[in-house]
Amino acid sequence: MKKYFLVRAMAMAEAQARNRNQLFPFNRFLCSSSNSSDLTLKNVTKSNFEPALAELRSHVREADFVSFDLEMTGVTSAPWRESFEFDRADIRYLKVKDSAEKFAVVQFGVCPFRWDSKNRSFIAHPHNFYVFPRQEIPGDGPSYEFSCQTTSLDFLAKYQFDFNACIYEGISYLSRRQEEEGLRRLNSVYNDESSESLSSSKAVADMQLVRMADILFAERMTNKIGEWRAGLLRDTNEGSEFQGSSNDTVQKLQTIFFKMRPALVLNVLTSRQLRLIELVIKKHFEDLVYVHATGEISCPQPLVVYTDSTTDRDLLMREIKHCRKNEAVTKIKAAVGFRHVIDLLSTERKLIVGHNCFLDIAHIYNKFVGPLPLTVEEYVSEVQKHFPYIVDTKVMLNSDSSFLHLVKKGSTSLSKAFTFLCPQIASPNVSSIVLADNPRIKVEVQVDDKRFSNWNSGAKHEAGYDAFMTGCVFAQACTHLGIDFNLHAPPVDLVHNEKLQKYINHLYLSWINGDVIDLRTGKCTADSLGSTNLKNRYPKILFSNIVILWDLPSNLKAREIKECMSKVFGTDSVTSVFHLDETAAFVQFSKQEFVSSFLELKDTLEQKYDPISVLHPLSKILEGGCTRAATYEIYKEICSSPISEVLFSNQAEAVGIEWRTRQLEPAVEVEKQEDRASSFSQDQDRKETSPITIAAGAPSSCHFPTDELVDSFYPVQAQLSK
Amino acid sequence: MSPRLQMLHKRFFCTKIFPTAADHHFRLRRHQNQWLIKQVTKSNFSEALGEIRTHISNSDFIAVSLQQTGAYSAPWQRVLPIDIAETAYLKAKRAAERFQVLQFAVCPFSVKASKLIAHPYNFHLFPRDELKIAMPSYSFSCQLSYLTTMAREGFDFNACIYDGISYLSRAQELAAADRIGHSSPSSYVVPSSSANSVADSVFTERTKSRVRHWVNACKDSNKKTEDALINTLRKLVSGSELYGSRPCLIINVCSERQVQLVLEMLKEVVDVVPMVVPARGGEVQAIRVVLTSSEEDKNLLEKELQDMEEEHNKRVRGFREVIDLISTSQKPVVAHNTLNDFTFIYSKFLAPLPSSMDEFRSSLLLVFPHILDVNHLMKEIGPFEKLNNLPASISYLRRKFFAPIDMEVSHRAEADNVQIHGRNVLRISELFAKLCSVLKINPETFEDDYCHLSSALQCHANTFNPSLTSSEDPIDEDVRIWNKNSRRISINNLVLLWGLESGISAAKLKALLHGSHEVFSKEFDVQMVDKNCAVIVFWTTGFSDRFLRIMDSGEIFCESLKDMISEGLAAASYKTYRSVCKLGLWEADLADALDKALEKTKRLTEAKSEEDLSILCTVVRFKSCSFGFLVDVDGFFDLEAFWTEECQGTWLLNVLTVTVPMNLRNIIKSLGETCPNPPLMLGRLISKQLP
Repeated sequence: MKKYFLVRAMAMAEAQARNRNQLFPFNRFLCSSSNSSDLTLKNVTKSNFEPALAELRSHVREADFVSFDLEMTGVTSAPWRESFEFDRADIRYLKVKDSAEKFAVVQFGVCPFRWDSKNRSFIAHPHNFYVFPRQEIPGDGPSYEFSCQTTSLDFLAKYQFDFNACIYEGISYLSRRQEEEGLRRLNSVYNDESSESLSSSKAVADMQLVRMADILFAERMTNKIGEWRAGLLRDTNEGSEFQGSSNDTVQKLQTIFFKMRPALVLNVLTSRQLRLIELVIKKHFEDLVYVHATGEISCPQPLVVYTDSTTDRDLLMREIKHCRKNEAVTKIKAAVGFRHVIDLLSTERKLIVGHNCFLDIAHIYNKFVGPLPLTVEEYVSEVQKHFPYIVDTKVMLNSDSSFLHLVKKGSTSLSKAFTFLCPQIASPNVSSIVLADNPRIKVEVQVDDKRFSNWNSGAKHEAGYDAFMTGCVFAQACTHLGIDFNLHAPPVDLVHNEKLQKYINHLYLSWINGDVIDLRTGKCTADSLGSTNLKNRYPKILFSNIVILWDLPSNLKAREIKECMSKVFGTDSVTSVFHLDETAAFVQFSKQEFVSSFLELKDTLEQKYDPISVLHPLSKILEGGCTRAATYEIYKEICSSPISEVLFSNQAEAVGIEWRTRQLEPAVEVEKQEDRASSFSQDQDRKETSPITIAAGAPSSCHFPTDELVDSFYPVQAQLSK
Repeated sequence: MSPRLQMLHKRFFCTKIFPTAADHHFRLRRHQNQWLIKQVTKSNFSEALGEIRTHISNSDFIAVSLQQTGAYSAPWQRVLPIDIAETAYLKAKRAAERFQVLQFAVCPFSVKASKLIAHPYNFHLFPRDELKIAMPSYSFSCQLSYLTTMAREGFDFNACIYDGISYLSRAQELAAADRIGHSSPSSYVVPSSSANSVADSVFTERTKSRVRHWVNACKDSNKKTEDALINTLRKLVSGSELYGSRPCLIINVCSERQVQLVLEMLKEVVDVVPMVVPARGGEVQAIRVVLTSSEEDKNLLEKELQDMEEEHNKRVRGFREVIDLISTSQKPVVAHNTLNDFTFIYSKFLAPLPSSMDEFRSSLLLVFPHILDVNHLMKEIGPFEKLNNLPASISYLRRKFFAPIDMEVSHRAEADNVQIHGRNVLRISELFAKLCSVLKINPETFEDDYCHLSSALQCHANTFNPSLTSSEDPIDEDVRIWNKNSRRISINNLVLLWGLESGISAAKLKALLHGSHEVFSKEFDVQMVDKNCAVIVFWTTGFSDRFLRIMDSGEIFCESLKDMISEGLAAASYKTYRSVCKLGLWEADLADALDKALEKTKRLTEAKSEEDLSILCTVVRFKSCSFGFLVDVDGFFDLEAFWTEECQGTWLLNVLTVTVPMNLRNIIKSLGETCPNPPLMLGRLISKQLP
């Protein structure tokens, strides 16, 4: 197959499509749009971005809400960075932050929905943007590199994602921060530069005429330019038209007007010759200026411009400088690219609808606004500035039992929800039974100028189509909530609709924990229904009671860890053990004291390597002398590192956790962090634990003479009961 | 050249700058139609594997060339002229671990009387998790500029991701052995059954009689027709089953030892083929004995089993089969940038890269005994030329020397089917042939002895040092400063300077420094490493140390420099740069990395000065193990061996100083990896003060 000029020429597209069709029966490549009009999805690449953006502007302005969806090159940069039950809200944010910083967005679906009261239906305009962070301007582009998760690429490939379209034709972008930075740099360059140093090469002054050829050439050029100048002056004085003095000069020298001044065009000269000319002009002609900048519109060819006076000369210089700066600014503005779409959504302050979209929003922030803040509180307040109204359909579906009933207790994944809530759209061929209490919403799709009442591109996990599904689910959910679009005169004011208030700006921070974050306050609450089943599986998690162990002896099972711990701290001392990956595990104790006791004890045992420590029940965990342990806060520190090793123990080593000093941190510190943790979450259960002081955890009170350890298998228990 | 031709030439020049698909294609047809590189994806891999196997065994050399998704995450992380072998390796290691190989071109070739016979293949790879075991790669990085370059060359990313060949490294295959679950009887090396215990012989005898009985029963039943019921009963009693159309018997085993015994015993029985039935966890659960009707039938079955194993290997190892083929052929491998290519090959197809260059070199040479770098050979001819890319090298040779090489490529281009991907591998072969001809090296090796390269080539083999040196000394600590200039200097005369105004030019910095202090009065040079970090070269020995001392003491320089210091100018020796690479502080700015490295050193020196807490002396007892290498285990901290004292025969008592337990851990870890006998007993940690 001829693959190296893919998607370049439209003429090739059809042949390509045929080629593809043989390989993939359900192809969804760009070119396929020409084959089957009923499956159209508005694909936008850099070639049709400008008109598509203009069109989208009007659609978004008229829209009642805009749904969106993203496709990324990956989700987690290491297995232990996946979402766990043992992740506190701040850890969860760190994981999302890491994901958004490392992976690239390759496809961006935007679908404005507008209520058409005449037809009593929604009109949707699904757009599918291919995005690629190409470096359009020199210097720090959007990003130097990005990560790909193998399984994610494979997943995209499974749904026939067109990587070529993305890399060849994807729309580039600059974040606001990058644009500001670029402009700032530009300003500093143009302000610093003295007007004289405009000539492209500063080395000109140093250039020496060494070679004979150079000297001859310089001599000849001096004469020629002198002649030309004399001719100009003569002509202006005599009022007659300028004529080329000799045949020879006419060939090489041609006069044009540059910024209202006569100028000599220097054609077909080497760069060395040009430099010589520049030198000659500097030396011999006060009223001539050499102007050259490669590849720019203001002055495409090298010129020698005649100026009346020094003031005129300075004026010309300023003009050229201004012109160049404008060009550079235009270039940067043009590089903004796809961010125009984000700016549009932001400035129009429309209701934004996504499905389980916390990570998506983080990507949008990181790619199109600026670097993600360090804490979740800062982040949510920043997000609110740009996107004041966000609805997460997954939260909507999970917070109401009637929805859960509708999706027949099935999962609330997007495609499932779409099939159950909007069967009339999902499978139009099957005549849907419209129940009296379940009015089905009608959605018409408009792609370019064509309207489809039965539109189904069927391309799941294509951002444009996913955005469309999300919008449909949202619209249907609104009707279930009792919002009657017919009662409202368009535009429908969804943003201030009372029935929607409890959903607006509530996003799943973590689906697995059922933690819903309120973007207005930064507070986390558990969702009322959705993941209750999941929650029951694990007992309440008290983060201050957790130690994290890593570099564990291989094949040590959670049960064995629990047994060892129980032998030392008592039968009920361990609430749960959870394996983070094959090298690391969380141990949650029933009492907070046990955390520091354990760390102390471990330290003592490791320092004295004698029969006592060999026989100690903990030796099974400490075997090999490599096992490391730390408090939950160290876990946070490890998560916040930009490094991502595949195994947790390697990660900890790479981050360079100096465990010995850290584990003995004074209790005050722990307490402080605990306060912070609880201020974050409104969870009443968690608050109860925070007042517990960590008296027993202080290093001094936890010193165990090793002799005692042999006698009692429950030394800590004994100590505590004293 | 006629003016017309000149015009034509010009036109081509233009298209180079703005290549459109059409004339790109046109150009290819015109100039490269005689070259065809066979493109291999998942769909034609089996076929290509068979072909390349014969080509490899019939050729004298194998050229390789890789296309990666990137090479460095920040400008300073490239291999620079100022890098010594060690830092260059660490940088290459970092790249190999981070990025991915998407194309791997292999070209077995021979040079026979100025004729190059080449068989180029280009394999498209993608680290797909084919076996659902989270291998070979969880994630990888892509450098934008590399993707853009690949796109410009018309690389088909869809084909690569959809249809690329996956692989597992040797280490990964071992690690996943229990999850892959397949082992052939041939993998059980039967040891000379020296000491058979009574239990062993009882087991063997019992099994033997059972097998005999079963074999006889089967042969009997073949002869006379029996009642179906009796037949079934007999089968039940003897535990006989069918394997395909052949009868088979399952023998349960409960240890590796028994597996060996059974396999040994079955050798004596004619017409049976043993097969190992694995259980979960990689252990053997049972042995299936298949009875064949004749010797021919036995061969047939064995062939079948062998094919099955090959199929399985192909599925598991994927592209690594090709690497293994190259390795087992033991033929010289020719590449253009060996350090880069072989760190990638090692990390993707062999095992995780070791932490030291020497270890890397020695274990790599076990797999590929002869590695030739054309870039290195080039230096023989044009030592001062900047010939970093292949086309430049080839045209340089063409200009300067007359070395005509006829090229014969096995795959002929068919119309419309021109592929350029992987053409570098042909260029490498061509360049190598030309170089041999220019350097008067006879590349024709003896048919029967591939392992002995002609002595001329031998001295060029296995050099990984990226710098110009032809010295074989691995601890060569002289570096170059410029790409173009070959002037060399000891790393002791280098000082790194950072905290500079962003984007400052080397000339401007040099002007600022010039004459600001006595140390800058003699000859010195400035070279930018990245946008706000520079390296200063003092051509006068000893000035670098003086400068660093001055920076430390805060002695006043001239005003401009004082301002710079107040704005955060900092300096450090080359040692700090080495630590940055060793500690893996791969920050985007070298300045940040240097700051971090200094901070760490400072923390350690502070710890050293503190009493009691500070020095932890470890008594580590090892069984006959020397400590010579230990001093550089963690390079950053110079470990001191206090005393060595013999005690209890072969046991050595060693005391080492380390400052932080974490490093102790590293030492123990590295000892465990390096020593034949890992630490038997960790000594006690005792607090001790330094004398």
